[in-house]
Formats: sequence, C-alpha cells, structure tokens
Amino acid sequence: MIGYYISLAMRSLRGTPILSALMIAAIAVGVGASMTVLTLNYMMSQNALEHKDSVLYAVQLDSWDPNQAADTANEIPWQLTYPDAIALLRSDIPTRQVAMHRFGFTVNIDESELRPFTANTRVTTRDFFSLFDVPFEYGGTWNKEADTAAVQSVVLSKETNDKLFGGENSVGKIVKLNGEPFTVIGVLKHWNPSPKIYDLNNNPFADSEELYIPFGLHRKFEIYSWGNTNGWTSRTAEGAEGYERFLLGEHVWIQYWVELDNAEQREAYEQFLTGHIHQQKEQGRFERPLKFALSPPSEWLVLNEVLENDNRVLGWASLAFLLVCVINAVALLLAKFLRKAPEAGVRRALGASRNAIFTQHLIESSCIGVLGGLFGIILALAGLTGIRVLAMGQADQIAAMNWEMMLAAVGLAILASILAGLYPAWRISRTNPSVYLKTQ
Amino acid sequence: MLKMQNIRKSYRTDTIETHALRDFSLEVNEGEFVSVTGPSGSGKTTFLNIAGLLETPTGGQYLLDGQEVGNLSDSERSRLRNEKIGFIFQGFNLIPDLNLFDNIDVPLRYRGFNAKERRRRIEKSLEQVGLSARAKHLPAQLSGGQQQRVAIARALAGEPRFLLADEPTGNLDSLMARQVMELLEFINEWGTTIVMVTHDPELARRAQRNIQIVDGQVSDLRQTIAQPEAAIA
Ligand SMILES: Nc1ncnc2c1ncn2[C@@H]1O[C@H](COP(=O)(O)OP(=O)(O)O)[C@@H](O)[C@H]1O
Ligand SMILES: [Mg+2]
Repeated sequence: MIGYYISLAMRSLRGTPILSALMIAAIAVGVGASMTVLTLNYMMSQNALEHKDSVLYAVQLDSWDPNQAADTANEIPWQLTYPDAIALLRSDIPTRQVAMHRFGFTVNIDESELRPFTANTRVTTRDFFSLFDVPFEYGGTWNKEADTAAVQSVVLSKETNDKLFGGENSVGKIVKLNGEPFTVIGVLKHWNPSPKIYDLNNNPFADSEELYIPFGLHRKFEIYSWGNTNGWTSRTAEGAEGYERFLLGEHVWIQYWVELDNAEQREAYEQFLTGHIHQQKEQGRFERPLKFALSPPSEWLVLNEVLENDNRVLGWASLAFLLVCVINAVALLLAKFLRKAPEAGVRRALGASRNAIFTQHLIESSCIGVLGGLFGIILALAGLTGIRVLAMGQADQIAAMNWEMMLAAVGLAILASILAGLYPAWRISRTNPSVYLKTQ
Repeated sequence: MLKMQNIRKSYRTDTIETHALRDFSLEVNEGEFVSVTGPSGSGKTTFLNIAGLLETPTGGQYLLDGQEVGNLSDSERSRLRNEKIGFIFQGFNLIPDLNLFDNIDVPLRYRGFNAKERRRRIEKSLEQVGLSARAKHLPAQLSGGQQQRVAIARALAGEPRFLLADEPTGNLDSLMARQVMELLEFINEWGTTIVMVTHDPELARRAQRNIQIVDGQVSDLRQTIAQPEAAIA
C-alpha cells in the first residue's frame, strides 16, 4: 500500500508542477539554510578526545600580572612559561604528560629534486603521541632523554612522508631541517583532529603539524614559538642575555597536558601544583592569589569558545527560519489538498478509510520532504563551499558535510514536511465525503 | 439485504436544523432493482449515503445483510463499503488524472488484492462495459456515457452485492441514458441488488419496484410490474 501511496504522491506532484516546486523549494531553502549553520556548529563541537575526557587535562597556572587578571575565560593564561613547564615535567605523578608548542622548519633532503619547503612543526615531549592517541605507520616516538638533551630525531606526518619519500618506510633516513640533519624515527598515519583540540590557541581549525621534534632541542636551535607568546612584564629573566632571556622569561608560550587516571592521582597532582606555586611565590613569582586549572578536553573546548555564542544563536535562528518555511509549506499543502478533496471523497466512497486518506496525504507530504531534503543538501553544500571560499582555507575542515549530516538533512526535511503535512492531511481525512459527491 | 427502521438524519448549521430524513423505514430484498423518485431536496441522496455507509444516521436502526452497522468504527464501515457496496454518481466522479485502468484499480487497492487479481478484475469489468480498448485513456477523453460506463465498471470490479446509483443518467442524453439503464438491468439480472435514484419516470417504471421520497419520508410504496426484458424489447 505504501508503494501505491508513493506512486499517487509522485503523480500528484507532477500534476501541479509549480505548486510542488514551491513546496519543495520552501522545505529545501529551510533545510539548506539550517543545515549550513548546523553543520558548522556540529563540526566545531567535535571532540576528538571524548573517549579520554575523564583522564586528560589541560594545565593552566596563574603566573600573570598581580594588577590585572589574564584575559581568558577563566582568568588564567592559556599557556605556561618555559621554566614552569620544565618544573612540571619533573613530576612523576601523571601517567603521561606533554609540554609543547608550535614551530616551523625549512625542510629538504639531499640528492632530491624536491624544492625546500616550510613545514609546520610541533616541538614536544615524547608522550605526545600516546597521550593524544596519534597512530604510527612506521617506527615510534623518541627516548626519554631526548626530552631534555639535544637529540636530532624527527617524526613525520603521513603527508610529509608521502611528499619526501613517496610513502615508503623512511625510518632511519635523514631529513635536513634548517640545513641540520635529523634522523626519521617515526611516520604517522593520517591524523588531523578538528577542532585541533591539543592546540586551540592558534587557529583551532588549522591542520595538524607536518613534523614533530623533541623538546630537548630548544637551546641548540634557539627555538622560539611560532604560536602565541604572551607577556605582561618587562622585568623578566634578569641577568640573562639573548635567547636565554627569552627562554627563562615570564611570558607564556608552552602548552601543557597531563593524563591522570584516577581521583587519587588527580588529588596528588593538585597538591603538587599547589606546592610548586607556593615555592615560586617564595621566589617572588606568582603574585596573584593561588590559582590553577585542570580542564578535560570537553571543558577545554568550551573555555576556549571554539563554538562561539554567536554560532549558537545562529543555529537557533536557522531553525526558526526552517519553521517559517514549514509554515509556508503547511499553507501550500492545505490549498493543494483541499483542491483535491473531491478525489478524497471518491476514494472514501470506494472503500478508503479515514486512516487510509490520512496516510496517503501524509506520504505525499513526506515525498515533498525527501525531495526538499535532497535539494536542501545541494543548497547546504553550496553554502558550505561559499564559506570555504570566503574563509580562504581556514574553514576547510569544518565547512564540510559528512554522511551523518546528509542523513540528518534528509531526516530534518522529512520531519519538517511531516509536520507541515499533519494538519492538512488530518483536515482532508476528516471531511465528510458526501459533501464532495453531490451532483456538480 | 437492507433494512432501515425509523432512520432520522438532521443537519445542524449555526442557525437552522434541516431534517433530511424523518422516520424513514424501508426494506430492500436481495436481487431487487428499486428505483427512488421524489422532488429535489426530499432526502434521496441522504438516503443513499446512509445506505452506503458514507454518512451515519442521527437515529434509527440500519441492518445491512442482517448486521447492525450503527456502532461500527470508520475502518469497519469502510471495509464493508469496499466489499459489499458499489457507488455510481450523477457526475461520474472519475479521478481525472488517473486513466481508466487506474480508476477501476482504486477500490481493488483498498481491498488488498494482489496485482494479478486486480488486473484480471479490471480487464473483466472493462470488457463488461465494452471499453477494453480504452484502458489507457484519461476520463476527459471519453464521452459522458462512456465515463458513466467506466464508473459502473469501477463499481463492479469489487463484485459488490449492492449497487447504489444517484441519478446515474441525469447528465446523459436519452440514448446514452438508455444504454446505461440496459447495463444496470443486465447487472441486476446477474444477481446484484440495485437502488437507483432517478428523475426519469420512464426509467423509474422499468425497475421492479419504485419508491417515492417526499419530505424525508417514504410516501407511497407501489409495486410496478416486473418485466424488464419486455421493456428493453
Ligand atoms: N451536508 C448538508 N448540510 C446541510 N444540509 C444538507 C446537507 N446535505 C443535505 N442537506 C439538506 O438535506 C435535505 C435533503 O438533501 P438531499 O438528500 O441531497 O436531497 P435530494 O437528493 O433528494 O435532492 C435538503 O434540504 C438539503 O438541503
Ligand atoms: Mg440528490
């Protein structure tokens, strides 16, 4: 019977092409607009580390200006100073911990046609890969000693390995970074979480880094940060000169994460942080009231306002717009169904029950929904393409629809059209057929 | 077959109440061909609609095939209508955007027959009304008399035992009217009970029995001589 109703619906839609096109357009425009916004919001609210939400924490310490709180959501700087990071790394309480920041190298390999190129680089301690579940294709991470001593090892992203070595196992090969030889010790599988949860300070929707090098190389290569570096005082690292003055200074540029597997571990670590801050206070640092924060990934995303409030409002506005489109579709459907009421009367006389008439008309409106949904997806894809073009590469990862969102679009369209069809279908099924069977 | 006792039907609008049928009692036996006449607005259509389970009476008792139908649900009434009753209207009431085949298909769909059985019945009933060659035509491509024959084919496809016709010849010229009447008489001979509302006294006389409705009541039961064959000749 469903098949019969669908064929009747298609025939009916073809019978009034302009009205049908209007109804399909109403649903398509509503679905297209709301799916464009909802897709952005959905992609922005992804949490690649959701499965580790109960054990991973971003660490913040309030080492900021005694006269003015840091300008962040929780009034603690997002990042740590280098000396604090080094001090925290000495703790053996966390199961794993990572100190890191963004950097960049010029890359080339000897005897290669490939022109040198600049590669985004992550300078990090060795636990980065296990802490954030980064998968290796070949090799693995460096030894513990490389976190403190200058060991010229490098881990390549899949994309970099494809570019440099055509995707083959390059472990043991030499890559030149800023002209210095580095030994490849690992190659990653494709890995590109969006938002880039482990580094939200520098564009949360940027791609993952192309190279990863050990944290012990700072002094040897005089590595600065390619990410945000924020300071509040000029009295900094007194007595130190040149690079040492930068490294030991009071500005924040190191991102810090720990893995704490249970409540006891977390409590112990909080005590450790408290102790560290007290100790620093004695040396004249940390002049603000004692404050630190351990934020799991989900909270970290909220704190960093990856999904801005404006986007939320826009999400609701787009649904309100869809509602307006649905109301339009209700009016059009009602007009159409009432015009076809005599046919419903004949069907009743020939044995159709009220339920049969109701179902037939609801299926007709669902067909409009399916068609509206398909056109809505096309409109949403066009909208997202427009956003990608306008954002010039900054939004490639978020302004993209996956299968789930496409299914959601069709689902939303069917839901909208069923809502739009309920009242007209009910009206037509309750009408007394004899009214329409009178002699004309 | 059909037994109505003290049926009442009133229509209430904001201002007035119309009594379309009052203390309406009538019995129609299996196999009969009954014609119904009466002035316009006297309640003939209302009677047919109640008989065909399209409307519910305000009061009284209606037995169809011995079954009290007053308390049935809409879907039960619809099923009875689908299985036992065929309707023919003055305005033919074919569905304009369905071809003849699909028009006749409508009651069979609600009956739940499979595709093969539906096709068999559609072809058979088109043949009965002499329109087999036109199965793929739309109603608008046919003359009035042909359209009414399609409507009859549609009413017959489900093999109903009871055919209700509301002025089936009212929109037809006398030649076509006679053809339709002959078709109905033929159907009746094969055992289908027919109740036909008509304004045409000649056609009314050709039925086995004629009843007259005046002011919502059966006014005068007078037996006509049952001689349809003679009338055709
Ligand atoms: N749906 C309705 N609403 C109000 N009054 C109605 C309705 N249907 C019929 N009537 C009234 O009931 C009476 C009988 O109508 P009807 O059965 O159609 O008469 P007939 O078919 O004999 O011409 C008329 O007065 C008519 O106006
Ligand atoms: Mg009438």
